[in-house]
Amino acid sequence: MEFINPDVVDLSRFQFALTALYHFMFVPLTLGLTFMLAAMETVYVVTGRQIYKDMAQFWGKLFGINFAIGVATGITMEFEFGTNWSMYSHFFGDMFGTPLAIEGLMAFFMESTFVGLMFFGWDRLSRQAHLAVTYLVALGSNLSALWILIANAGMNMPEGAHFDPETMRMQFESFVDLVFNPDAQAKFVHTSVAGYVSAAMFVMGISAFYLLRGQHRQFAARSFRMAALFGIISTVAVITLGDVLGRLDYEKQPTKIAAIEGLWHTSNPPFEPWIVAALPDDAKQENHYEIGVPLVLTPLITHTFDQPITGMHELEDQAGPRIRSGIDAVAALRRYGVTHSGTDLAQFSAHEQDMGYGLLATRHAPGQDVTAIPADQVDDVVRATQPDILPNVFVTFWSFRLMVFLSLWFFALFAISAYLSLKRRLERSRLLLKLCMWSIPLPILATEFGWITAEAGRQPWTVFGWLPTFLSASSHGMSYMVFSLIGFVLLYSVFIAAELYLMFKFARLGPDHDSMEPHAPAAPMVSAFDMRPMAS
Amino acid sequence: MTKLLRLAGLAVVLVVSLLFAVFVGDQGPWYFAWVIGTVMIILISGAGAIMLDAQSSLSPDGEI
Ligand code: HEM
Repeated sequence: MEFINPDVVDLSRFQFALTALYHFMFVPLTLGLTFMLAAMETVYVVTGRQIYKDMAQFWGKLFGINFAIGVATGITMEFEFGTNWSMYSHFFGDMFGTPLAIEGLMAFFMESTFVGLMFFGWDRLSRQAHLAVTYLVALGSNLSALWILIANAGMNMPEGAHFDPETMRMQFESFVDLVFNPDAQAKFVHTSVAGYVSAAMFVMGISAFYLLRGQHRQFAARSFRMAALFGIISTVAVITLGDVLGRLDYEKQPTKIAAIEGLWHTSNPPFEPWIVAALPDDAKQENHYEIGVPLVLTPLITHTFDQPITGMHELEDQAGPRIRSGIDAVAALRRYGVTHSGTDLAQFSAHEQDMGYGLLATRHAPGQDVTAIPADQVDDVVRATQPDILPNVFVTFWSFRLMVFLSLWFFALFAISAYLSLKRRLERSRLLLKLCMWSIPLPILATEFGWITAEAGRQPWTVFGWLPTFLSASSHGMSYMVFSLIGFVLLYSVFIAAELYLMFKFARLGPDHDSMEPHAPAAPMVSAFDMRPMAS
Repeated sequence: MTKLLRLAGLAVVLVVSLLFAVFVGDQGPWYFAWVIGTVMIILISGAGAIMLDAQSSLSPDGEI
């Protein structure tokens, strides 16, 4: 039997996390900007006013930079499943491969085909046809995200598959269950709408920059207003779907929700406080410096006033019998692989639902083999495995909180911006305009925190409850992992640098021409914060 | 004739939309909410821009 090198597993995890974090810097803008372009172009087609065409073309140019660089970062990740996570791919490939293939064949091709037409078709297509193309690009990019998130939901809350002891892998069962998995639905809408928030902040922030400088005023005012309205509704939607995800975690991933809330002991409804801030200590299994708001946690998570939320200590206790039963499952499966006897299969079936917990125990078994555990040491192995069922609480707790705190900031910023834009009092609110500008990267940061919450909180599993992460990696050498990691870091850093350089350059240049104020300087205006008149 | 064809085309779109709404609304309520919500977000942000056009034509030199 081949031994698992924990350093290789850690490096594989680190590499995947890093490439995904890089990739996720580009994704939200693509998801959201395409629909913002569609909105601008819709107004152009309806009103026939040139300024909306200019808007669609200018923001389209910035979208193009993001799209071109972002695509490259996504492709490597699809290969990583095969190269670095071959055990996972064997175990879950039947299930995971389906949405991934559909994503590549349908959504990605659709998006890529129409993106060319969107850029080069302005003079070749009718207005309506071009608008249809823009909508197809938006749909294509969001459908790409849909299939990836369906695959990811399958890992978090496996539905539509069963384990087959003959093939030793999860066998795909139901396409409908896979696609309509409630977790997939909520993840998709939450992530897609997080993209809308990111794009809205991007457009609003750059427009604020023009307004602060008194440049492209009409162009910036319209872009700002559309973005502020787009952003405020999207923020409400992202918060609503965040609540749905939390509730699903409560039902299906109790360890994740307990870690998210830093809940070491089962809650005491309805008084349990929602912990606003604390320093969770994973080693001592307790929180330091807790600050909480009483009565909030129970209704927030369970949507009731009387249902308890199981704490991490109690979850560890509950895992004990499952680990023991899982060890029996793995042992029976081993025997069945050799004998193919009905008795062994029946024994396996009796413990099948706990197989993942048995696999989790292999790390503590002599020679990483649970069948080799002497009878008098089973209790020790079970005890050693119990804390392994928990994710890293500090990371999960804080990534979640940062995402939530940022969403409250977005809500306030978009609401005030939309109000002042509707009242036409933007230009005197220079502080607000500056805040909008500096907030451009924040939704992307919130997206990264969201992804960390979801994926760090899923640990120690790649397929929740079925396959532990440390059994999922390929058996590479250390040097291979270090070399490829350095390669990715260098390559992706170049991508980020190129993106930032091009974005800054083209955003500074602004739209090609101002259709509403061709030559005239903007009227001098006086700001409440800055009493100097602004120049055009 | 073209009018008739256009009407038939619109009727087909309507029927497909209804079937989509019934099936997806039932099986995947959040997917359905995403479709409706995205359309709503686009329409409201577009309406905001058109409202700004109206506001600017009333006071062209005003603040933005
Ligand atoms: C009050 C506000 C929010 C709440 C309650 C919330 C809740 C959550 C929860 C519980 C998860 C983990 C889902 C899982 O278990 O897989 C999550 C993931 C995520 N969140 Fe949020 N969120 C909020 C705001 C935001 C904002 C503002 C953004 C970005 C602009 C964002 C982006 C994400 C992303 C990208 C994920 C990963 C999606 C996934 O794979 O599950 N969230 N959110």
